[in-house]
Amino acid sequence: MNDHTDDTSTDPTTHRKHAAMIDRLSNLHQARLSTKPNPKDPTFESTQSFLTLFTTSKQSIESSLTQIQQTPNPDPNSDLEKISNSISDLEKLVAENSYFLPAYEVRSSLKTISDLKQTLDSVTSKVKPRKKFSFKNKPAKKPEPEPESELESKLQPESESKSSYTINDSPGFRGTENATLTKDFTGLEIREFVLSDLTNCEVKLKGRFRTLFINRVRNCKIYVGPVSGSILIEEVEGCLFVLASHQIRVHDAKGTDFYLQCRSRPIIERSCGVRFGPYRLSYDGIETDLKESNLYEDTGNWANVDDFQWLRALQSPNWSILPETQRIETVII
Amino acid sequence: MGLLSIIRKIKRKEKEMRILMVGLDNSGKTTIVLKINGEDTSVISPTLGFNIKTMTYDKYTLNIWDVGGQKTIRSYWRNYFEQTDGLVWVVDSSDLRRLDDCKYELDNLLKEERLSGASLLVFANKQDIQGALSPNEIAKVLNLDAMDKTRHWRIVGCSAYTGEGLLEGFDWLVQDVASRIYVLD
Repeated sequence: MNDHTDDTSTDPTTHRKHAAMIDRLSNLHQARLSTKPNPKDPTFESTQSFLTLFTTSKQSIESSLTQIQQTPNPDPNSDLEKISNSISDLEKLVAENSYFLPAYEVRSSLKTISDLKQTLDSVTSKVKPRKKFSFKNKPAKKPEPEPESELESKLQPESESKSSYTINDSPGFRGTENATLTKDFTGLEIREFVLSDLTNCEVKLKGRFRTLFINRVRNCKIYVGPVSGSILIEEVEGCLFVLASHQIRVHDAKGTDFYLQCRSRPIIERSCGVRFGPYRLSYDGIETDLKESNLYEDTGNWANVDDFQWLRALQSPNWSILPETQRIETVII
Repeated sequence: MGLLSIIRKIKRKEKEMRILMVGLDNSGKTTIVLKINGEDTSVISPTLGFNIKTMTYDKYTLNIWDVGGQKTIRSYWRNYFEQTDGLVWVVDSSDLRRLDDCKYELDNLLKEERLSGASLLVFANKQDIQGALSPNEIAKVLNLDAMDKTRHWRIVGCSAYTGEGLLEGFDWLVQDVASRIYVLD
């Protein structure tokens, strides 16, 4: 490095060239400073100017939203379209600047945008006149079942198939409070199990499962045998989970402890105050169940949590590893 | 313009197709890709970001872009829309609670202009699970019939766990894309 600088200072030609280059660079810099930032160029690498632009557009969208509600217009479609376009422009603006914005700003801007979208939706449903009833020239499909659908309907009657996704008949515990719920499937493989809308319950599930869905659970203790596929956990608070699975996804969890055996990296999203420790469960035959589900070996992955809202090298503030002194003893169910 | 036509020419010559796999988290996108490529599917972590797989299928080279489906990263899907020949939407047929979410996200995706020319394959995955809805029911919930006139689409029931249905789905997609792009050959 030093040698190099010496070389340049001794050789007069290089020296001249070097001076010329410095000159050019400073000229360029001046030129750049003097041209005002192009308002059409949406990236400007300054959080402050981004925020100013963002707030102005947001306010103008908000005011047009209030305006459209106050002054009834027989044909609001074009106005709504305009607002919707400016919301997507705003979204684009955030996307284009997201590479330099702090994570918090990105998140809060995205939240603002989704709020605006919601307001637009509600305004749309309020303002838009209902479609007038009219006869259409389209041939009705339903009354004449085509040969293909007839085949299907033999297997699954129309009325049944229509409601089958609201009436849920998969095995599970739903809508219970203050109870101990136990199921023993030791040695069996249950394909699917659901735990939903439980409060102050203790759940003990022995046996193997292919997949497990857990949602809206509060202040519960949940102990489950190995799940060979995936576990999806949504909206839980103040719970304790002891689970083993190939994949574990946690959404919207608050103040909950997880004791896991996981073949891949567990993930959390929109969660806070969640802590992780190693799997601590025992029942007669659990070893066989764990081996059958390929979950016997400790991968240590319970500690490798990915927070999808914290994509930095630093430890996410939303989760932590349970201190050893605070961990539970092995639970026997 | 010049570059684009060169790329097109190269693409045609090498019979390349770009396939975009999207869908809600936990639907099995990565598992499908690895299964069809004959790889181990037992230690897949939820996808943070995306995976690209290049594989030869019939006489075509498929570039499969498998993009993570967690809610937080769905807004980045649009970064992958450009030049997509075939779109694969994967549904967890056993996750009845989030079917509305699934429909909402699919509807949004199909509004995207850059995807308007892409053939759509819907995989009704996890058919091996008892409570799973049939492909027909999923098609009804997602209202797929509504785009009969505007897009080439097909729904196929499959299980990434057993591998059932995967080849059938990709066969259709590759043929459909090929018949559009390589019609001159």
